[in-house]
Amino acid sequence: MTQTRPTVRTTAIMFVAVFVGGAAGSLLREVFSAQIPGIPIVTATFGINVVACFILGWLYSVRHRVHAHVLHLGAVGFCGGLSTFSSFVAELERMAAAHFWGAISAAALEIAVGLAAAILGEAIGRQLHKQKSMK
Amino acid sequence: MTELYLHAMFGLGGGLGAVLRHWIALQVRHDLPLATLIVNVVGSLLLGLWIGYLGGPIDLGEEERRLVFGFCGGFTTFSSFAYQSLELRRQRTIALAAGNILLSLILCWLALLLGLFLTR
Repeated sequence: MTQTRPTVRTTAIMFVAVFVGGAAGSLLREVFSAQIPGIPIVTATFGINVVACFILGWLYSVRHRVHAHVLHLGAVGFCGGLSTFSSFVAELERMAAAHFWGAISAAALEIAVGLAAAILGEAIGRQLHKQKSMK
Repeated sequence: MTELYLHAMFGLGGGLGAVLRHWIALQVRHDLPLATLIVNVVGSLLLGLWIGYLGGPIDLGEEERRLVFGFCGGFTTFSSFAYQSLELRRQRTIALAAGNILLSLILCWLALLLGLFLTR
């Protein structure tokens, strides 16, 4: 009989990995937000979200070659904990109070740069893997 | 209360948020990234409620503040949202990708506003 359902042990390790990654990512974001000054449009959250997109793109480019728990720790936990959508909209709301279209532009910019960072992360991850496997 | 302890509370909140997000993702199995949309909307609502609540008459300790702020950040995700939008563009249509981006932005913003409004 083939085993299709994950065992209790794998499920437990999966959730522990997500927890540890999420806690580490959140903690890093909190520490960095306090350190990075940020300017009106390019806030600390902006920068951190973009970095998380880059790392996630990189991790997904090698997702077939790493253990599932590495993805649970790094992608689901760490990148998810590092990046945040709630603070992103909270900052937009604060910006919109002063300048509505400024906030809309900031949102468009952050999403565009985030997408670009994910593509870049993927490309670099793929390239590095190619070089490694050619050696 | 040391700063280290407060950081730990934030991290604890973030870790719990990530675990709940992943649990929801496992329950909501759909070929569209609905789970991410749901957690982002719910997390934004919670953050709005929390910001509004903290501005109110009841004063809370710094540790509770950090725990919930950490939770909202760990629960919601920008990176998965961005990556799934890319995947929608690649595997489905650009309209779905654009729809995911617009819908996430609009619904999360409205959810935050609703939260702020309810606790005003």
